[in-house]
Order: sequence, then C-alpha cells, then structure tokens
Amino acid sequence: MTMNRRRFLGTTGATTALLGLSGLPLRAQGGTLNVTAYGGVWEQAIRECFVAPFEEKTGASATVSLGGPAQWLAQVEASPEQPPLDVLIMSPDLAVLAAEGDLMDDFTTEKLPNLQYIPQEFTDACLGKGTYFDYGVGGITYNKQIVSEPPRSFADFVERVSSGEFIASVPSISYGPTTVFFLWALNNALGGDVDNVDPFFEAMAKMKDNLVFWAGPNDFFNHLASGEADLGIYFDGRTWNHVDEGVDWIDFINPEEGGAMTAVAIQKPKNASDLAWDYLNEVLDAGNQAKFAEILNYGVTNTQVEYSEKLASRVTPLAEANLPPYADIARVRNEWIDRWNREIGM
Amino acid sequence: MRLSDIALWVFTIAFFVFMILPIAVVVVISFTEAGYAAFPIPGWSLKWFARIFEYEPFIDSLITSLWLGVVATVASCLLGIPAALYLSRARSGWATAITTFLLSPLSMPMIVIGFASLFFLSALGFGVSFLSLAIVHTVICLPYVIRTVSAVYRAVPPAYEEAAMILGASRLTTFREVTLPLIRPGIAAGSLFSFLTSFDNLPVSYFFGSAQTNTLPVVMLAYMEHQFDPSIAALSTLQLLLAVVALVVADRLYGIEKMTVAT
Repeated sequence: MTMNRRRFLGTTGATTALLGLSGLPLRAQGGTLNVTAYGGVWEQAIRECFVAPFEEKTGASATVSLGGPAQWLAQVEASPEQPPLDVLIMSPDLAVLAAEGDLMDDFTTEKLPNLQYIPQEFTDACLGKGTYFDYGVGGITYNKQIVSEPPRSFADFVERVSSGEFIASVPSISYGPTTVFFLWALNNALGGDVDNVDPFFEAMAKMKDNLVFWAGPNDFFNHLASGEADLGIYFDGRTWNHVDEGVDWIDFINPEEGGAMTAVAIQKPKNASDLAWDYLNEVLDAGNQAKFAEILNYGVTNTQVEYSEKLASRVTPLAEANLPPYADIARVRNEWIDRWNREIGM
Repeated sequence: MRLSDIALWVFTIAFFVFMILPIAVVVVISFTEAGYAAFPIPGWSLKWFARIFEYEPFIDSLITSLWLGVVATVASCLLGIPAALYLSRARSGWATAITTFLLSPLSMPMIVIGFASLFFLSALGFGVSFLSLAIVHTVICLPYVIRTVSAVYRAVPPAYEEAAMILGASRLTTFREVTLPLIRPGIAAGSLFSFLTSFDNLPVSYFFGSAQTNTLPVVMLAYMEHQFDPSIAALSTLQLLLAVVALVVADRLYGIEKMTVAT
C-alpha cells in the first residue's frame, strides 16, 4: 500500500486525535498534582479550601479526580511504581488496608508541619501512613413533626423501636460504612465488643418488625420525607446539610453512649510527587480546615480550628464521639457481614 | 370484547404503568423547586437543569462520554463487522469457539471486566487514560455489533454475493455494492446499542476515572453520594431525552421495526 499525502495526513490526524484524547496515561507530573475528591459540594470545597491555597503558594497546579476510595486504591494498586494519583481521600478501613499493603508513605511532622495539630490517634489509626482530616458522627436523625420525644441513647432507640413506638430507617449491609457506624457503634453501646457482636444481632432481632433499610444516604432522607420511617441512624453533617437546603423538619442527636466517628483519611501513595506534601499540609491547615467545615457542616481534626457559632452548635465534639478500632474491625468484618446476611438478610 | 381480551388489556396497561411510572417520577422531580428530591413536588422550577450547566464536571464528563461512545462504537464496527461476516459463514468448530469468546463480555460481570482490565492495561503501560477506556469500552461494545450484524448477514442468501462475483465484481466491490447495503440495518442497530451501552456504562468506567477521563455516570455517582439536590434527576431526564432522540433518529433513518426484525 502506498502512503500518499492524503493518507499520511489522515493517519497522522487520527493518531494525534486519539493520543490527544488519551492525554497519555495519567502520571504524577512535575508541576501538576493529581488529587482526589468526592463529588458535588465536596469537590467545590476541596478546590476552594485546599487546591486554591496550594496553587497560590507553590505556583504548581492541581487537577481534581472525582470518584471514591475503592476506585482510587485500585488505580494505585495497579500502578504502584507510577501511581496515577498523588493524594488519596480514603475511608478509614481502606486507609488501613492501603497502609498494610505498604502502598502509602509515612506521615511525619518534618514533611507535614501542620500534622503536629492533629491528634496522634488519628495518624496511628492509619498506621502512621495517613491521618484523618474530617469527620462525621453516626447518630439518630428524626422527623421533628412526628417524634416529639426522640430517643437520647442507642439503648432507648432499641427499646422504643422494638416496642413499635417508631419505625426506624437503618443502613443495610450494602452500604460500606454500615459495619462501623451502625453495627460496631450499636454493639459497643449495648455492651459488646469487636469479638462479641451478639448484643447487636439480638437488638436487631427485637427491632426487626419495625425497621426499614436504606442502601444509600439519599434513601434515608426519602424514608423520612415519605413517612415510611419516623427516625433512623444517619450522620450529623448530612442532617445539617438537609436543614440548610430548607428541610426544617429534621434534627440530629448524638446518642449518650457516643456515636461512631466516621472519618475521612488522607494518604500519599509511594512514588507520588513530593509536591503532595505541600498540598497535604494545606489540607491540615487550621484556616483551610475551618473554611472546609463551614461549607460541609462536618467536623475537622486540626485542634487549632475555631468553628463559627452556628457550626459549633452542630459539630459533635471529638470528645463526645467514639473512634472505632478500624484495624480490628477489618479483621472480623467478613464474619460480621456473613452473620448479617444469614440473620438479617438486607 | 371477551373477558380474556379485557384481562390482556388490563395486564398490558398495568405493565406499562409499572414500567413507566418510576421514570415519570424522576422526570417530574427534575422540575421541582425544592432543594431536595421528594415526591410530590411543592412547585415547578427549571433551576436543576441550570445547575447541570453550572457544575463543570457534569459538562466535562458528558463530553468525555459522548467522545468515548463514538470512539468505542467506531472501533467496535471496524473490528466487529469483518469478524461477523467471516464467522457467520464459517463452519468450523473454531469459528463457534471464537464467536462465543467475542460475545463473552455479555455474560461476564462488568465490574470484573473493569477491575481486571485496569490491572492488565496498567501492566501494559496504558494506565488510567482515555485510550484504556476506549479499549475496554470497545471490548464490551463489540458483542452488540457482532450479534446484530451476524443475525442480519445469516439471513442474506450467499447467492447474492456469488452472483455479483460471477458477473465480475471484485471482493471489495461485492462488499461495497451488495453486502454493505444488505447488512446496514444490523450495523445501525449494533452501533446504536453499542453507543448507548458505552454511554451508560458505570462499572467499567469507574476503574478508569480520573480528572481527564471521568465519564458522566461516574461523576453522577460521585455527586449523588455526597449531594442531595435533584440535579441528578434533571441530568437523568436529559439522558432519557438523548436516548429517545437517538431512537427516533435511528427509526427515521433505518426503521426500528426493520432493525428489530433483523436481529
């Protein structure tokens, strides 16, 4: 086949277009950082509170990849020598998994000066290869128009749902954090521990006729809005977000036993750009975190942060929340899920 | 009218109501003035459609999805049509085995294909890129083109092509003047299914998502998990509209009936 001018231009054009679209495989590049964010308001807050000051101070730029921790961890696992991402936002359980897999770099105050203001236990919870920067608490969210005297504790919640006073919406096992912020938290409140979850399953058996299950957070709101449920187990920050969107009929209670802290971890994959340390330091900065908390209605972990009056009344203080033993839970999670599937099924 | 006819009518109407009502609820919610998704809606507004255009990742990912759909469909046709033509007429056991292999993405969980492809393509150096996405989407779109083109081509008597060649037409001319016009409904149907399969795909695209390669379903999932407003309903309404327009255009060009009869 002869290569005439037209064919050459056509072939070159098609190849260029394909490569141009591909942008070639994503790699941690010198002046550009690839960071991660959940979608919607989360992404906008990440850009405003962390990416903007990072770009201003370093002169570098950052692209924001939307998605979720499982996706990002898989991408790093697939290319550990040249990770496509420089900074990961992770759920606590996957942060432990990533640290145990030796995929992440160690966090030290030499690399991250602002780490000194983060409680050490949050870095320890990531096995020293990451830390928490944002947290919410799982507790009781209720419809104020229907529930005038809400349960103040998990124990009270179980008793009153069991008696049929309320229909409760609780997370199903298909929702990732369920094993921690519902199963572990309720079990812990009822006297169980990681190696004994009988109290939780006995409570579920008592409540079973008065429960509906939500598969995703939006389902929970729909259950309350439609009247299918009166109250349920949900997060503080998400409740306040609904209030700010004009839903004036819901409220949140952190149970007396203390709800489970569901934190968001940050990690840096090994072999990712060193610019990531500058970005991570911005994520841990008190001023940036305060701004982030104001947008998302969630607590942040820098002890120097001063919340606004409105947010201070909403954010569950760190001392009133329980930090779940994520590494221990990871060890028995499959057994819990298996038992849940056999005894509860949803 | 007999009782059985009445029962059939009632069943048919109930079936369509059951199928269409959930979609209708999503469409109605997309016009709500409330800041959250609830039905019935308190008032009417177009603000959630405006939100789609305000939120940059929606538009960026829509463009990526459209490009990806086109690239995967074109690649599927380039690979799938010759394969379908050969395999439809082949008689050996190998041909059956290869056909089964090429159609196998239809029977595999998409999430397994996505996860495995991420590791495979990363090992080859393609990593998280549009090229990787295009390769994997082509793999999952290929069966639709092969299946529809094969079905149409098997119904074409070999005598048509033989007659053209006896009259002096070359293989290429026979393909261009005889075969191609006859299999066109199959190509159109396969391309339509292929594009819509790529455009709606989440489990495969999820593993190749990045700031440059996120597709619309991936961004919608990321948005939904942390945002409660009805903009996803508005986006779903637009996607629905796009699918309906694609079907109407296909119907005008080739006739849906002809496509479905052929397949």
